[in-house]
Amino acid sequence: MAILEVNNLAKSFGNTKVLKDISFSLEKGNVLSVLGSSGSGKTTLLRCLNFLETADHGTIRVRDELLFDADDARTTREREIRRKRLHFGLVFQSFNLFPQYTALQNVMLPCQLLAKEEENYKVRKKQMFAEIAANAHDLLKTMGLAEREGYYPHQLSGGQQQRVAIARALAMKPDILCFDEPTSALDPELTGEVLRVIRDLKGGDRTMIIVTHEMAFARNISDRIIFMHDGYIEETGTPEQVFDHPRSERAKAFFSKSLEEI
Amino acid sequence: MALIMEQMPIVLRSLNVGFLQTLKLFIVTLIGALPLGLVISFGSMSKVSPLRWLTRFVIWVVRGTPLMIQLLIIYYFPGLVLKKPIWGGGEAGRFLAASVSFILNYACYFAEIYRGGIQSISKGQTEAGLVLGMTRGQIFFRVTLLQMIKRIVPPISNEIITLVKDTSLARIIALQEIIWAGQAFLKGSQGISGAIWPLFFTAVYYLLFSGLLTIILGGLERKLDYFK
Amino acid sequence: MKRILSVLIALVLVLSMTAFAEASDMAYVQEKGVLVVGITDFEPMDYKDENGEWIGFDADVAVAFAESLGVAVEFVEIDWDNKVLELDSQAIDCVWNGMTLTAEVTEAMECSVAYCNNAQIVIVPADKADEYSTIESLAGLNFAVEAGSAGEAEAEANGFAYTPVKAQADALMEVAAGTSDAAIIDSLMAAAMVGEGTGYEALTYTVPLNSEEYGVGFRKGSDLAAALNDFFAAAYADGSMAVWAETYGITAALIPQA
Repeated sequence: MAILEVNNLAKSFGNTKVLKDISFSLEKGNVLSVLGSSGSGKTTLLRCLNFLETADHGTIRVRDELLFDADDARTTREREIRRKRLHFGLVFQSFNLFPQYTALQNVMLPCQLLAKEEENYKVRKKQMFAEIAANAHDLLKTMGLAEREGYYPHQLSGGQQQRVAIARALAMKPDILCFDEPTSALDPELTGEVLRVIRDLKGGDRTMIIVTHEMAFARNISDRIIFMHDGYIEETGTPEQVFDHPRSERAKAFFSKSLEEI
Repeated sequence: MALIMEQMPIVLRSLNVGFLQTLKLFIVTLIGALPLGLVISFGSMSKVSPLRWLTRFVIWVVRGTPLMIQLLIIYYFPGLVLKKPIWGGGEAGRFLAASVSFILNYACYFAEIYRGGIQSISKGQTEAGLVLGMTRGQIFFRVTLLQMIKRIVPPISNEIITLVKDTSLARIIALQEIIWAGQAFLKGSQGISGAIWPLFFTAVYYLLFSGLLTIILGGLERKLDYFK
Repeated sequence: MKRILSVLIALVLVLSMTAFAEASDMAYVQEKGVLVVGITDFEPMDYKDENGEWIGFDADVAVAFAESLGVAVEFVEIDWDNKVLELDSQAIDCVWNGMTLTAEVTEAMECSVAYCNNAQIVIVPADKADEYSTIESLAGLNFAVEAGSAGEAEAEANGFAYTPVKAQADALMEVAAGTSDAAIIDSLMAAAMVGEGTGYEALTYTVPLNSEEYGVGFRKGSDLAAALNDFFAAAYADGSMAVWAETYGITAALIPQA
């Protein structure tokens, strides 16, 4: 069963059409990598899925629930969109940790704020917060940051900051975890530790969408690849199909060039 | 020197009264201008363009004219032109008019500092909050506000120190603050005439008070030093 | 500053021309129940006693005048530069502070009759007083005078080189500090502030340049000026003016009843 279904998504900024007609679906537990040159619309696609941009056309379904339909005003209201965002997690290129909180606080804060909306918050507050804290400890430990819990973001390396950001996104238990070029802002020697963490996340039920320029990584981790060009999905399939036997000329040119770089 | 020692108790009593007036104006201005500035800064960033342009026009006028003229206009204009001397001629009325002028003037300066502070917070902070399911209010109060405060503390401190000294402008509408009190002995007051030193001695009050403020504001700055 | 002020005043005067004729100023003051008197700290005319109460020749007469109108009196210290502004904006109701009746003053205010004599007098360091006993000997000196004062008008009329300063007291400070050679101030003030037993022991006064008179100023067109003239006449008649003058040591300067 498809956990995510996107149909005919389109988005313009002024006169520039950034997404033209995007449709795809994703199976639960699969990893999808979105590739393509700069300006092809990859990041905008992720931002539309996370409702940081509002698409002009198209629909988004998660677990068969219609989250967004550009033609149905009831699905685009800001108040409801906030809850819908929780189906998705997003790890940013530039981390965007909250500088005034420690690594642990960064991971706990969003969960604590959300817990306030639970019906029996006042009664169960202590227990809820204990669970949130335990979960945050575990996540940071998984990220290899058990020793760094009390550090503020500026005291951490870029790779460590990105791992905290991944833990923060995981703490919300999203259905689909998205990565927007998670290693592009890192020094080359730090990309490895972040890619390794993402690779370890794969498995079980975890569904992920990764926008990246790391070709070898994408080929290794992905169940499916989407190659985008100029707002369209130019090519899609398994890594073998897309990397080794691309059908379109643009995909051929793109992959032969990126192979040269490696 | 002996003469100065003799005059000292009278002069100090008078300067203290003047300084109390200075201090009152300083505190009232801060209490009024710090929150009003935030309202004005939101107005100047509003998506409603008439409101935005009106606010920016007011900021332009207030920052573009001397505070001294604003004091004269706010105090004298209602009686002169509208024939409604709303402030009254007494000390309380002069203080009220001075407070209104100072609050308006400083709120506009604060508003621009706030706006700079708000706009300097990267959009990524807000987006991260949104993606993590926070409301706009939670994002403002739990994420961006403290970062903004950290950034505006140094420029606001500057304005606050300037305000201490600017209060002396209020004597143009005969508000008897400390410089007025010091100057009175030049001409003659309470049996002391032609005494120059009280006027210069007011500088000691300003120095001590701004020194105290510098320590307090520096402490606040250091307190926010734990993050970057 | 001055220029901006005068533009502001001119603007305001034009705007106010129309409005003033309406009601009697006396009725306005009686209705609000208080006569607001604009003063500066100026011994012996208006100054504070040990209890912080305003006393002085002018202050005492003002209290009695307000009483005759059936209203309270409130003394407010003003910036002397802004006296016309204060009057016209109704922040104060009169200027009663040893004010010289110059042409500028009588044009801008409704003035009472003169009640006190004064002169503009030259102040020099005491050790040079002998050199400057005539008006001719003063040529070539640099004077300090209060901006907008009768002293400035005298300096102008005699062709002296001068620096305008903010107050008469500042003019004295200029001479004491040696930044100006001489100053021109009111003789009543000079008597109180210059010479032995004062703050300026090293200064003295020499040549009087003119003689002039003090009066009380009200808003242009105010009926209070006439009321004060009547009050003065009665106070001269029953001898109370003479008593007040004696209290503050200005008997010699008091103008006898016409």
